[in-house]
Amino acid sequence: MNFELKRKAVTAGIVMGVMLSSPVRADYQIGFMTDLSGALSDAYTPIWEGFDLYVKALNAKGGIDGEKIVLHTEDDGLNLQKAISLTKKLALQQKVIGIFGLSVSSIHGPVFEELRRLKVPAVTAFSATSDSLAPAKPFSFSTGSLFQIAGEAIGELTPKLGVKGKVVGMTIDTVGGRAALRHNKLAVERVGYGWDEVAFPIQSVDFTPFAQAAAAKNPAIVVGHYGTAQNLGIIPALRRSGFAGPYLIANYGVTETAIEGAAKAAGSGENIYVVSRYAPPQENIPAVEQIRAAAKAHNLKSSLTQVHVEGWVLGMVMHAAVTKCGKGCTAEKLNETLENLNVNTGGLTGGPIVFTKDNHYGASFWRLYKWNNASRKLDPVSEWIRRDGIEFGSL
Amino acid sequence: MFNEAPNLVTSQQQRGFILKRRYQRVLLAIVVVIAAILPFSISQYHIHLFNLALIASIGALSLNLLTGLTGQVSLGHAAFLAIGAFSAVIVERMTSVGITLALPVAAIAGGVIGLLVGIPATRFRGMYLAVTTLAMHYATVFVAKWYQMKLGVSASEGIVIPSPQMFGYTLSDDRHWYFVLALMVGIVMWLFLNILRSRTGRAWIAIRDRDISAEALGIDVFKFKLSAFIISSSIASFTGALLAYYTKSVSSDTFTFDIAVAYLAMIIIGGMGSPLGAVLGAFFVTFLPYIVEAGFDFVPVAWKGGGALFGYQLGSVGLCILVFVVFEPRGLVEIWRRVETYFERWPFRYRALEPNQK
Amino acid sequence: MMQSILTIVVLTSIYAILAGGIVVLYRGTRVLNLAHGELAILLGYLFATAGMQVTGSILGGMAVVMVFSAIFGAGIYWLLMRHLIAQPFYVAILATIGIAILAKASIVLLWGGRAVNIELGANTVLYPYSTGGWFSYLDAITIATAVIFFILLYYALTSTRLGIQFRAVAENPLLASQRGVNVNTIMMVAWIVALFAASIAGVLYGSRSVLSLQAVVIGIGGLTAALVGGLDSLRGAIAGALLVATVEYATVRLIDPILSQAIPFVLLLTVMMWRPWGIFGTREEIQRV
Repeated sequence: MNFELKRKAVTAGIVMGVMLSSPVRADYQIGFMTDLSGALSDAYTPIWEGFDLYVKALNAKGGIDGEKIVLHTEDDGLNLQKAISLTKKLALQQKVIGIFGLSVSSIHGPVFEELRRLKVPAVTAFSATSDSLAPAKPFSFSTGSLFQIAGEAIGELTPKLGVKGKVVGMTIDTVGGRAALRHNKLAVERVGYGWDEVAFPIQSVDFTPFAQAAAAKNPAIVVGHYGTAQNLGIIPALRRSGFAGPYLIANYGVTETAIEGAAKAAGSGENIYVVSRYAPPQENIPAVEQIRAAAKAHNLKSSLTQVHVEGWVLGMVMHAAVTKCGKGCTAEKLNETLENLNVNTGGLTGGPIVFTKDNHYGASFWRLYKWNNASRKLDPVSEWIRRDGIEFGSL
Repeated sequence: MFNEAPNLVTSQQQRGFILKRRYQRVLLAIVVVIAAILPFSISQYHIHLFNLALIASIGALSLNLLTGLTGQVSLGHAAFLAIGAFSAVIVERMTSVGITLALPVAAIAGGVIGLLVGIPATRFRGMYLAVTTLAMHYATVFVAKWYQMKLGVSASEGIVIPSPQMFGYTLSDDRHWYFVLALMVGIVMWLFLNILRSRTGRAWIAIRDRDISAEALGIDVFKFKLSAFIISSSIASFTGALLAYYTKSVSSDTFTFDIAVAYLAMIIIGGMGSPLGAVLGAFFVTFLPYIVEAGFDFVPVAWKGGGALFGYQLGSVGLCILVFVVFEPRGLVEIWRRVETYFERWPFRYRALEPNQK
Repeated sequence: MMQSILTIVVLTSIYAILAGGIVVLYRGTRVLNLAHGELAILLGYLFATAGMQVTGSILGGMAVVMVFSAIFGAGIYWLLMRHLIAQPFYVAILATIGIAILAKASIVLLWGGRAVNIELGANTVLYPYSTGGWFSYLDAITIATAVIFFILLYYALTSTRLGIQFRAVAENPLLASQRGVNVNTIMMVAWIVALFAASIAGVLYGSRSVLSLQAVVIGIGGLTAALVGGLDSLRGAIAGALLVATVEYATVRLIDPILSQAIPFVLLLTVMMWRPWGIFGTREEIQRV
């Protein structure tokens, strides 16, 4: 053959080889962005671990119709600028079809604005976004605890504690915490309790003065609307300040491990309760068995907690939506699928997670648990109650 | 090019130029050309990163003016950014004029607060000044948070402001932002360079180096310190407003002390007192986390945890501060000057000190 | 009432130990340590993990932490601060900021920034209050530690050779070195002592409260106390701590808990307007203020 022909043949061969060897991007690209290293990583890391576990288990079973889920995890460190940059990165570079998780509510507004511009849907666990309530803003969905609804659910469950009198609500100085207190107050007053509250700065040197201020109000019950770090500090301080009554933890990402630590520091684990949207992984139902099996198979280093269940259920939602969306799913198609979704959680929360076009949060189910220091587990004290949206006043 | 009468300024006119030698002007032209082509050859995500670095440059330039040039250590830089951002919020909420009003308002607000803070602050020197500015930082963030809470629950998830609109044109494309920001960086740098050569600039340098002597020489230290505060805080506030419009969101908990630390890192690493240093430092500190992220893949898996990447990024910033402080206290600019000197003066090693170098 | 007074005394103790560390460092080296809080928390974490978990006892934990304080203190001085002596003062402050960042990064890398509680098992009742609640062993230990710390420091500075050399260097390093005092050694000792003080504060704080990335804010509290009392006065550290603790506690109980974070700064600004060098500080020559 002459030289020209040889050169053309080689070029053609190379091009064909490249075309055949480069894989068609068939896997599903999913993004997860949350706080894995900042001040609230105690709350958000277990959610990510639960979601990641679900994805690993799903991929081990072959993925969705033979196509795996590729999970891109990003850490926003509670930094707004970083969150926006990472959102752009996930949407533009990694080309994910949906972003899950997200972190603290104070960065939701701008992040969701960005997502609406990029037309990529996001489903948050805790913290839930108020954009997901009816009338829901596009591309924003939530499966977690919304502050106002959590406050009202706690209010409804308070009588199950068996004592009457004054409820003192405590929170940190954030708008979410204050909103939760506001709705908690309205709900408990309706069932005949008195109310007072103590709000303190997020960064405090010592919790003792705040605990003393709360104890000085002579409460029958104290409710804490904050995360792990504050609970670890407040519970012992409250006991030291003379309050021995029921202390109720609003579960914003507080794990059983944290409660155990707080109980130890307080000297006794008596009279500690939790109100949570998701069940602790201890019942013998198939759904919990699945989680436990996955944790073992994929060597989960931390112990399984309620918060991991929240992440796992988020994974279930992702699975349902992507399956329904089907092959060739894009971000906009996923958004449409999410707007019409009914996910059976198998008992991991009190009912199914339902999203409709107008309501991206749906009905939520809450339960009261008591901390059992001997078995180091949470025992249910009430049945599941159902909350449909915000009852008292508006946002 | 390098050999033509390198250290002789051959005309009165040439003495007036900011860039005296021809190679400097050629380099500038190359940089401008590259900067102009850049947004068309990289992805949108990377343009976004460049935009962040450009905004940071303007902020760093303002801090360098106060701390690097005048020697007034300010730990309150984040507070002025917050003032600018919230000024933009207030303008957006109360008027319909938008960015054309918001930027000047932010600059004026910054200047006024700078004046108010400057008056007592000039009583102190050194460390006490630093502490006063730290206190100012917390006070400002407290007020900002109070304002944000007052706006209600909808503001709890971050106050959203719309894309800036000027004369009917909406600025939302990252690429367009890039050119606007690059132009602004150019203008502020040019301002800085001019101030350096003016009486004000020389007075500031004198105050930084030995303020008692400066006073003895007849420089009104109080007036010049105050003017440094005012100019620096207006530009910083202006930067805050820009940042608000660029990220289209404002929240009081974004303006942490860590941001002030990051800006200080920018000017230490870049070079205190030098406009080029501010820009170099800003780019360095902005891009460092992403460089660390790129190298993260090479870390053995055992060292990767959930938040490990952030730990490495944070650690690299701290390490860079320490390395530069010990080994190159004059910053990246000094490295650049040494490269310049090598080429300019070879086979000689040293050049005459520029007027604004110690 | 009794409860309030005792709580204030306990708070004062923690602030005083923090302020004491900052004062020792400033007096010896004229460096304002902005990393004190971060280092205290880092050493607290080390106590809880490398100390107590490994050795299983409190004393063992303290020994481990002492070793770490010595290593860090010597390292910071020898590798870093020594080179910055010729530079203007703000370079040293910026270097301490660098150290603070590194300390925070270590906390993130080693423990993921998770909240950790130190369990000294001392939360039990020592003296119950009539209104409910109790004064715990931990509270008593905190106060006792602060008292012993200052007594030891006072004794060391007045009666030991090293202490007198330290005071000489604190007053005039050049003159002291002419007289044969090894200024390098003294400054290194200052750093080690400061870090050790920080570690004690960190451990005490971690037992009452929670060690986390947020906890580094105690450094600001200690700094405020030191500045209010006078940066080069140990007496001032105690006085400043008492003032800051009282004002904070009063704000929480009597006004509004939310303001308790901002109040120390108001106090600081007020004192600085009136006496910039603190209540007990030496009236600074015109050079430094």
